[in-house]
Amino acid sequence: MLLSIEPDGPVPIYLQIRDRIIEAIASFEAPVGSGLPSTRQLAVDLGINFHTVNKAYDLLRQEGLLRIGRKAGAVVQRDATSGPPSPGFEEDWASRLRTVLAEAAAQGLSAEQIVERCQDIVVGFLPVTSDGSAVGEAS
Amino acid sequence: MSAAVLAADAFVPLFGVYQCVAPLVSRRTLRFGVRVPLEYAEAPVICRERRGYVWRSALIAVCAITVLIALADAGDGSWRWPSRVVLVAEVVADAGCFWWAHRRISQVKSAEGWYAGRRQTVVADTSWRTEPPAFPVGWLLPAVTVIVSTVIVGVLRYPHLPALPSQGWGRVDRSPLTAFGVVVGQVYVTAVWSGLLALVYRSRPDLDTADPVASLRGYRKALGTFARAALVLLACIDLTLLLAALQRWQLVHLSGAAELLVVAPAALGLAACLFAAVHAGASRAGFTVGMVASDRDDDRFWKAGLVYVNRDDPAVFVCARFSFAWTVNFGNPTAWLLVAGFLAPPTSLVIIRLATGA
Repeated sequence: MLLSIEPDGPVPIYLQIRDRIIEAIASFEAPVGSGLPSTRQLAVDLGINFHTVNKAYDLLRQEGLLRIGRKAGAVVQRDATSGPPSPGFEEDWASRLRTVLAEAAAQGLSAEQIVERCQDIVVGFLPVTSDGSAVGEAS
Repeated sequence: MSAAVLAADAFVPLFGVYQCVAPLVSRRTLRFGVRVPLEYAEAPVICRERRGYVWRSALIAVCAITVLIALADAGDGSWRWPSRVVLVAEVVADAGCFWWAHRRISQVKSAEGWYAGRRQTVVADTSWRTEPPAFPVGWLLPAVTVIVSTVIVGVLRYPHLPALPSQGWGRVDRSPLTAFGVVVGQVYVTAVWSGLLALVYRSRPDLDTADPVASLRGYRKALGTFARAALVLLACIDLTLLLAALQRWQLVHLSGAAELLVVAPAALGLAACLFAAVHAGASRAGFTVGMVASDRDDDRFWKAGLVYVNRDDPAVFVCARFSFAWTVNFGNPTAWLLVAGFLAPPTSLVIIRLATGA
């Protein structure tokens, strides 16, 4: 899994790490059961304070995506194959999505453009079959 | 000029060639320790400073060799001072040339705002930690074999050693410490060298933001090649110490050109290791392809492009900015402890010898 962050960017680093890991889980780059580097190792590789990585991992643990054990370290706890989300997640997510979509609409993107872009992103998360098409993609 | 002196002098041209070439074999986005965007990798100031550095460092090497030849008869016995003084002067002069080129490029970069408005990213590949490269333990075998051989020969020879074995600094009583000092040296060099290599295997890889997957693959390959060359160098140093011990234990008597045999393994091993470092550094130069984002401009943490000081970075070892080498993060207290631990034994030895007059 590649983790790319902008240390001097406007988004806090721990949120950038959390976002990249969620994207990797969604695209099956980090499927359920796969291990992540320890907080110290990832901090060394990114050249940042290990408390920052710890904060990102803790956030992912609270969201139910990571399991952090003393021996096994950080392990991906759930992905798209793990069944429906926990109760209350969808409402919370929908409210955040509303803001993101409103941003696009306010900036002048048409409804078709917004839907098309959303569809492209969701298809990008699906695992790719041997012929190069995404699993479950409408032909 | 004896063969031993000639061998000691050989390090001057060897380092002269290395320092002439090493700063030129870096990633295309690192020029004389300055981080530059890809489209400025061949900027006029960089081409000019590169040409200037080659001429200046070549001139320094030629001057160093000329001075060495002129001082051929200076120094005596084991204290062949011209080669040491000239080598130090050569290294300092080359560092000055590097700093000059670094400063000139930094000035132009800053004046023209090469990084203004760019997205600057740092990238990590988690596979480096989840599937770490294996340290080539098998390549430690030659060094261990040489040490064991030294111990066996030493144990067999010890009862027959004269009461006062000769030393470079005079004559001392026979004791296990004085007789097996060479073995202590071998163990120290082997432990420190292989320990540093093991730490390098756990340190941060040098990834290219534009193509991290390919650059990590290349880094793994280059690290493996360099580590094997470094462990061969280790065996060569141990072999040089074994040959020195054989002379000290009066088992062999080398004189004239045969004295070269003692230093030859270490000199050849060092030449091979430096070549491997330069070759690995050159292989990294080709990784940068199309740029979506730029590497983070972290020049503020690099003093003169050579010394890394970043208190916010938990890394102890980081990749140096030229050739294929590493340096410590002087902003990390652990790095200071490591350097102190590395220097403590040889420094203590020199102090004890000066204090006791042995």
